[in-house]
Amino acid sequence: MSNKSPHFDDSLLEAGKLNELRKLLTGLDQNELQKLQLLLNDPHEFSAEIGRLLPYSIRKMIESGELNHDSLLPFVEETIHQSILKNPKRLANILFPVMGPAIRKAVSEDIKRMLASVNASLENGFSPRALKWRLQALFSKRSFAEIALANSYLYHVSHVFLIHRDTGLLLHEETADESRPLESDLIASMLTAIRDFVGDSLKAADSGSLDEIQYGGLKILVEQGPYAILAVIAEGQPPADYRVTLMETIEAVHYNHSLDLEKFDGDTAVFQHTSKFLKQCLVKEKKATRPRPPIALIFLSAIILGLAAFFFIKGYQNRQRFQAFIKELEMSPGYHISKSRIGFNKLFVNGLKDPLAVPPNQMAGWADLDTSQIRLQLEGYISTDADIVIQRARQILLPPESVQFKLKNAILYVSGQSSEEWKQLLLQNYRSVSGINEIDISGLNQNVVDLQWIVPEIERHIFYFDVNIIRLDSVQQLQFDSLVGAAINLEDYNRIYDRNMAIHVRSYTNHHNPANEKVAFDRANEFRELLIQAGVKEDLLKSQVLFVEDLDRNVSLRSVHFSVFDTKPQQE
Amino acid sequence: MIKKKIVMLGAFAVGKTSLVQQFVHSIFSEKYLTTIGVKIDQKELMVNGQEMTMMLWDLYGEDGFMKMKPSYMIGSSGYFLVADGTRSETIETAIELQRMAAATTNNAPFILLINKSDLTESWEIAPETLLKLQQKGWTVMLTSAKLNLMVNDAFQKLGQMMLEKNNG
Repeated sequence: MSNKSPHFDDSLLEAGKLNELRKLLTGLDQNELQKLQLLLNDPHEFSAEIGRLLPYSIRKMIESGELNHDSLLPFVEETIHQSILKNPKRLANILFPVMGPAIRKAVSEDIKRMLASVNASLENGFSPRALKWRLQALFSKRSFAEIALANSYLYHVSHVFLIHRDTGLLLHEETADESRPLESDLIASMLTAIRDFVGDSLKAADSGSLDEIQYGGLKILVEQGPYAILAVIAEGQPPADYRVTLMETIEAVHYNHSLDLEKFDGDTAVFQHTSKFLKQCLVKEKKATRPRPPIALIFLSAIILGLAAFFFIKGYQNRQRFQAFIKELEMSPGYHISKSRIGFNKLFVNGLKDPLAVPPNQMAGWADLDTSQIRLQLEGYISTDADIVIQRARQILLPPESVQFKLKNAILYVSGQSSEEWKQLLLQNYRSVSGINEIDISGLNQNVVDLQWIVPEIERHIFYFDVNIIRLDSVQQLQFDSLVGAAINLEDYNRIYDRNMAIHVRSYTNHHNPANEKVAFDRANEFRELLIQAGVKEDLLKSQVLFVEDLDRNVSLRSVHFSVFDTKPQQE
Repeated sequence: MIKKKIVMLGAFAVGKTSLVQQFVHSIFSEKYLTTIGVKIDQKELMVNGQEMTMMLWDLYGEDGFMKMKPSYMIGSSGYFLVADGTRSETIETAIELQRMAAATTNNAPFILLINKSDLTESWEIAPETLLKLQQKGWTVMLTSAKLNLMVNDAFQKLGQMMLEKNNG
């Protein structure tokens, strides 16, 4: 026992010393060294340990300047490059939510509008509608592209489907048109089948996708995402930037549901939350409808205008007729109009009327008037108008037919033949005739000289002259005296017969010699002067030169004729 | 609401369309099968107390003129392989299609439907063949679209299998 114990003790002592020595040398005890050895021998453990330290080491090295970004760049680039070469889709999927917005920001709105304009132009370049647009552009001075775009901006997106890309299953849908329910699940699947069919049939490249299906006025617009696709049903042509809305929506769905989409196992409940994104796609813009012409209003206005025009014209015509009638009344003897007023379709006249005046309804203007439109207030009065006074005188004095009345300045001139008895009655009664102050009966029952002969007597005389002779020769002088004998009575003739006869001295010549006219004029003047000298009043003489060529009857040259005519024909 | 994409696969004229025709809601006509190679129908059912919408992609049966488009299978959560019990060669087609579908659908659950089970007199498929497939782990069901035998059960079963895979 005693032998074994020292040996055991020695070995223990040795081991203890060795440990102490190892610790002194390495600073590690045996357990720690064994652990370190195990780490070095096991590559997995070792790499895991290094992996934990490596990022920290790199960061420290960069901070201390031992390593910079430039020196790391080739490795990173090469790694990414290799990754893209190996599986480009993976990187595209990773970058999809990030790249979309970045790319879109780079594309200005103007360029998009321009592209849309070009598309619209090409699509509608030769259609009848395009022709109409071109005409619109021509007349409105706007560009065709503008017109085409303006007409394109008419759309209505009624349904939005979120479809799982691989399975074709409908994840969620939103609709703006509840009245038109669709077999959404079937449509979603069939759309996927059609996409696959097109892709397979055309052997389309990975990058290709089915973006749009058009059927008549309906369009299905499809926006592809890595795990889901967005399909909308639109009527009309959504604007170019609607695509951006679709892109943003599918990106938002992927951003918020990337894991749900990637691990999709048929449970669609979680995609209820995409509702708020999908609803953004339900848009519509109604084309500004051209306001319909207010036909009823136009019709009514036309009727009103027509009626107004009718009444205006009618009123105007009435006013004209009323005014003409008032004037006629004012001019008619025996009327005195004190006041007249034209009202709405009515004529009001106030004044005086002699009982002998022509009744209004016998006046010419009366026929044009509607008697119901006239209010005449005419009081009786005694008119002093000559015609009325003479009428009154005839009614009262009852003259025989051979007696004529004339009134001037309230003096009644009586002429003609009557019995002495009537003459006495006249003298007794004329004062009872209103409007007559005095009476002149000098013309009554006188032996009136018959002067009817003087006109043919005057006109009988014709004087013939030789060339350039103006003066009368002795024979002509006698002839002239005979003329004067008749002409001198012309004033009496006028007075007796109440005429205004005058002598026209007509001197005839021709155009052969310009001097002829002068000679003819002098001859006429000579006679005029001679007649005045003989006592014929100057205002009863007129002279003129006439050319025989201008006459349609034969008259001798160088002759002077006398014609008697009434300068103021009597009114019948 | 659970939605699943289901594909109907099988040789030409095995009765795929007939199997689903009476039990689904459809708005598309049969012409889609011959034009774009697929017709999509919808079936809603309760599976394990859960409402499930199956979108049934009825693919055109392969024949000499038209090949099935594999892209239609992408995203399927399950599929029916349909064979005609009176034509043993349709089993071979189904097996071939299963290989392709397994790769495309990431081993989605499936059921082999041997249709036309009412035509017992002209039955060609030996029980051993089906047993072998069952031993491989296949779910095999005999159906008759004509007599409505096991059709709803098949949809129910596939629905359960898909849910189980979801949960597993």
